[in-house]
Amino acid sequence: MPAMPTTDRPRFSAALAFLVAGGVWFLVAGLYGLAGAVHLMAPEFFNNIPWLVFGRTRPVHVNTMLFGFVAGSLMGAALHYVPALLRAKLWSPRLAWVSFWLWQAAVLSGPVTFAFGITQAREYTEYIWPVDVCVVLAVGTLIVNLLMTLARRGESGLYVSVWYVVGAMLWTAALYPIGNIMWRPQTGAVPGILDSIILWFYGHNVVGLLLTPLALAAVYFIVPRITKTPLYSHTLSLIGFFSLAAIYSHIGGHHILQAPIPNWLRTLSVVDSVAMIVPVTVVLVNVWMTARGRLGMLWNDPAGRFILVGTFWYLITCVQGPLQSLPSVQKVTHFTNWTIGHAHIAVLGFAGFIAIGALWHVVPNLTGRRIYSRRLISLQFGLAMFGLVGFFLVLTAAGLVQGQAWQRGETVYRALPSIAPYMILRAMLGVSILASAAVGLYNLLMTVHRGEPIENTLAQEVQA
Amino acid sequence: MKMTPVLLIVAALLIFWVSTFLAVLLPAVTVSDRPSPARQGVQWSADVAAGHDLYNRNGCSYCHSQFVRAIDWEGQRLAQSGDYAGMEPIILGTERTGPDLSQEGGLHPDDWHAAHFVNPRHTRPLSIMPSWEFLGDTAVRQLTAYMQSEGGRDADAHVQDQRDYHAQALGAYRAGPDRNVRWLHDNVPAVWRDMPNPYPATESARERGKAVYLQFCVNCHGLVGDGQGSAAKFLDPPPLNFTTLRRNLAQGKYIGGIFYYQIMNGVTGTAMPYFKRELESEKIWAVSNYLAVQFLGYTDATLEPRGIPAAGEPAWKNSYTAPTTGPAREGAP
Repeated sequence: MPAMPTTDRPRFSAALAFLVAGGVWFLVAGLYGLAGAVHLMAPEFFNNIPWLVFGRTRPVHVNTMLFGFVAGSLMGAALHYVPALLRAKLWSPRLAWVSFWLWQAAVLSGPVTFAFGITQAREYTEYIWPVDVCVVLAVGTLIVNLLMTLARRGESGLYVSVWYVVGAMLWTAALYPIGNIMWRPQTGAVPGILDSIILWFYGHNVVGLLLTPLALAAVYFIVPRITKTPLYSHTLSLIGFFSLAAIYSHIGGHHILQAPIPNWLRTLSVVDSVAMIVPVTVVLVNVWMTARGRLGMLWNDPAGRFILVGTFWYLITCVQGPLQSLPSVQKVTHFTNWTIGHAHIAVLGFAGFIAIGALWHVVPNLTGRRIYSRRLISLQFGLAMFGLVGFFLVLTAAGLVQGQAWQRGETVYRALPSIAPYMILRAMLGVSILASAAVGLYNLLMTVHRGEPIENTLAQEVQA
Repeated sequence: MKMTPVLLIVAALLIFWVSTFLAVLLPAVTVSDRPSPARQGVQWSADVAAGHDLYNRNGCSYCHSQFVRAIDWEGQRLAQSGDYAGMEPIILGTERTGPDLSQEGGLHPDDWHAAHFVNPRHTRPLSIMPSWEFLGDTAVRQLTAYMQSEGGRDADAHVQDQRDYHAQALGAYRAGPDRNVRWLHDNVPAVWRDMPNPYPATESARERGKAVYLQFCVNCHGLVGDGQGSAAKFLDPPPLNFTTLRRNLAQGKYIGGIFYYQIMNGVTGTAMPYFKRELESEKIWAVSNYLAVQFLGYTDATLEPRGIPAAGEPAWKNSYTAPTTGPAREGAP
């Protein structure tokens, strides 16, 4: 039977472009991450290669993962499901492409600038001022597009996922210029200790007000669809949404708890970090109660498996997070690889797994093609899971080794040999995560180009 | 409650701004940027500012922190908010893969830093810091200047100490190996010059000393103790050649206490850092025994004066005999 003419298939949309770019960035950022891991294991492996030196590859890895892969993929999926939930067409596909190119230009600037020592250097705000402008314009154009779509919706109610996506974009539009101190383009900083206070308000909220709401939006969209059940509770949705905004947003001080910041800010950060248990459990109860008795449906769906496991990573991250904010815990864990383990389960385990799940859930709709290979998705899942569980265990252990050694009075230098085996394991596990990214990207590209057209198979089913 | 677009936008933004008020605006109006005593009146030179910029642009802050905490075993004083007055940006750091650098100024002389930036393993064999040789000599000089400024006024005082003693140390070195050894010994307090190594130089003790030597000392003093480690070409005065001690006896023997004191306290003005934070007492005595036996062929371990032997130590008899070479003669080869 001849293939259906390609013109019948959906056009290549900005949403799909975000997802494909996200897959590419996952691989690129993974390569930079591996370069960093190799450095920590064997510091003279890439000796005197300026663009591969650890201090320069690390920001490429972090920013490209965060903005390119995770946030980018989740925004791509949102561009698809928000109009669907509103029963409207996206207001301007052309403007969505503008957002896409602005965003990708910003992400691309990472490998191009940081690797050559052009950076504003503060963690997560490394992008230089012109790139900051790209990010803000990308988010701004997305807001316009979303709100105009909202205004022309055919569905009167607003589903939870829409709240989170709109919230994430509004918050990021306000947060990003503050965190990047965009009114001081030369340094992207304010003088003195205040700079770190603002930086960690922002650094914390990039995860809390950009990645978290986008990921939760995807969860709220996908879980009821796969399990074919209505959402468990509207009230819990409301509480979860507003408590996230209220509590998550002002506790960034726990990142610099041991630095000389005001005591009231420390107290506020610790107390409300513990209060984070509320928004997290409320959301998880809502999602898991929706799926109760049907977790098997989630597990057996290629997208659902990533989403389900992503919610578990969310639980682990957000139990660990409040604990880590306690001074008595930080005494041991702060400054160590423990925190690196936490960052990986948050960004890759929670938001990243959900981004991958969202990708596989919406790609058939976006391309009009079936997924090229479900087995490859299983492989992608297995590799990512093996690597990440390993990361979590190894980095946590390394962190405890460091923290305990320092507590005993050993210098940082003296503790280095003790973490060497963990650094070797970490690099090996990184290969697994990188392989997962490569398998995922291959499967995505094959789906886009060679996936079986859905009309085609429908016709075959009818014939049979 | 029904979610409407207006409620969504207004409430989401309102909550965000309340949080921003708490976590950004309140600190902005209440946190003072008044300099701490250490920061008072400190002016950065062009080199220091350029070094600070290089530090930031090359991501040094991903491995080094910039504040000393109450629970830390490093640094001389706790960080204060005014330590960062006027600095922009000041990146406190979130990891300590390398040591805290906020009070680094004056801990080492400039030549130590030159060797360290070119290849950190030159001075710190276990370091996993990258080589920064590719940045070039100017950048390394500027980074060094920034390192020497870390700690404000305290750092300036320490750097001045390094300069003062450096002049003395260089003078002693240029006067020849014997004068050099005499200068080194004269700067060890008398009580230490009388003190033999109280630990038996058993084979296992010397193996432990060797392990410490390989982790801390080898790339300056060299595998055979001749001071020709990989760092030597950067250092002026160069690392001590231990064999020059053979003909420079104190009290007719080599003194474990002299080694101990110099390892513990370092030799300010030279690249020899102090190790009292890194090495506990037994480790320093173990290195002393290793140096003495391995490179000089003699140790004064467990000789008189000694007290009641420590319980559980092996019955070990020092069978090394002090070398018969007479006192050093001026100008001897």
